[in-house]
Amino acid sequence: MRTRIALALLALFLMAGNALAKDVVFAVDATYPPMEMVDANKNIVGFGPEIVAAIGKAAGFNPILKNTAWDGIFAGLASGKYDAIASSVSITDERKQTMDFTDPYFEVKQGVVTAKDAGIKTVADLKGKTIASQMGTTGYFVCKKIEGATAKSYDEIGLAVEDLYNGRLDAVIADDSVASNYALQHEQYSQKLTLAFLIAPEKPEYLGFAVNKGNKEIADLINKGLAAIKANGEYDKIYAKWFGSK
Amino acid sequence: MNQHFHKKAVKIDIGDGAAIPVRKDAGLFTAWWMTFFGAIAVIVYLCVTQPEPYWRVLKFLPDGVYVTFQVTVLSILLSLVLGLITGLGRLSRNRIINLIASTYVEIIRGIPLLVQLFYIYYALGRLEFFKDLPPMAAAVAAMGICYGAYMGEVFRAGIDSIDKGQSEASRSLGFNRAQTMMYVILPQAWRTILPPVGNEFIALLKDSSLVSVLAVADLMRRGREFASESFLYFEAYTMVALVYLVITLFLSKGVSKMEQRLNYYERD
Repeated sequence: MRTRIALALLALFLMAGNALAKDVVFAVDATYPPMEMVDANKNIVGFGPEIVAAIGKAAGFNPILKNTAWDGIFAGLASGKYDAIASSVSITDERKQTMDFTDPYFEVKQGVVTAKDAGIKTVADLKGKTIASQMGTTGYFVCKKIEGATAKSYDEIGLAVEDLYNGRLDAVIADDSVASNYALQHEQYSQKLTLAFLIAPEKPEYLGFAVNKGNKEIADLINKGLAAIKANGEYDKIYAKWFGSK
Repeated sequence: MNQHFHKKAVKIDIGDGAAIPVRKDAGLFTAWWMTFFGAIAVIVYLCVTQPEPYWRVLKFLPDGVYVTFQVTVLSILLSLVLGLITGLGRLSRNRIINLIASTYVEIIRGIPLLVQLFYIYYALGRLEFFKDLPPMAAAVAAMGICYGAYMGEVFRAGIDSIDKGQSEASRSLGFNRAQTMMYVILPQAWRTILPPVGNEFIALLKDSSLVSVLAVADLMRRGREFASESFLYFEAYTMVALVYLVITLFLSKGVSKMEQRLNYYERD
């Protein structure tokens, strides 16, 4: 009898869960291929959005992606325009002071993209060069720390790569997944550019979903889904689709 | 009843110098006075009472202000040259020159400045010839070309405003057309042209905040960089807005002073 009631309750819970699936709004700056970008049909696609969709399915919420400019993405979170940010946000101590993060969902290193014939092989080679990244990203923080180099910030990483391609910059620094996408996979850029080297971080850099400080409800929900898709192989499937096998 | 319709058309002049004080309301507590010293007072107050973060923001901005001025001054110089050429072209009796000048004005006025900036830097940047154009040059070129079209209209109106009798007299004294323009018309037209040019300068300074999209490190970009790293959006943009306000108000005062001097003979 007890089992029956439990089953009935469970069924009820599942049905209700489906019918009343909670909407969770994620901000995405979809200018960061292959992590998140807009496809030809104006849909937001990429590794991040697929992970979010899988998490939503596993944790029983309905994810809604909202394309937002990187520039104000953290301000929008603070003012409650969305519940979370799913936009390759690196978990840093500075950011942790103003927001909370979920468990990490990806590890990044900073990749340095240069022209193939630039002869830049190490951080020391960047001295006296003009290097750039997207404003307010960990890539830009790295740029500013490199001694003797001029750091420039762009609105989007794609615009920085375009300037590198046109010879106006010596190097662009970005998350390795993004850097290699431009330098190795992009049809046009890959002919001229290369992923010269990776900068080893002082401590591992992870991407997480950012939520407002103290918003445990959303963070727990996402963590629950993330753990589920890591356990059931869904995460590895998506990873393999975008980056090949580990 | 009919008199109403014979009234001279009212000229509504809404430029970016809208805040420029008119001579007749020059008192101690004008709107200008309130805003200008109010803005300075707010900046000082914030920096003194909450040096963290306001003073830190303010310290982050000066090189941006310098770049903003650099872009503005270079662009206005370019736009003056282009404007003079365009204005003369628009008044030219040569139909081809006239058509070229008018087409330039039509094209530029029909495209938003932000699009022009992207176009000159990123679209033309794909062409071999423009590849080495540094962002600052692209920014100045785009702003100068854009404002040159507007400036052309200012020059045209200014030159048009000079009484026909002036050029007739000059011609009858043996000046040719070029000399008439150079020595008789332009020196007089300058007086009409200068105030709107001053307004354009202020408008250009404000629009120069758009060049931050070309990764030119102007005042706006410095503010954005600060905000995107510290997440102090309110504090950063409050400071940026106040600094712009102080600069434009200071300049608008200068323009109005200049206007007063130029109108010395036409005082009420």
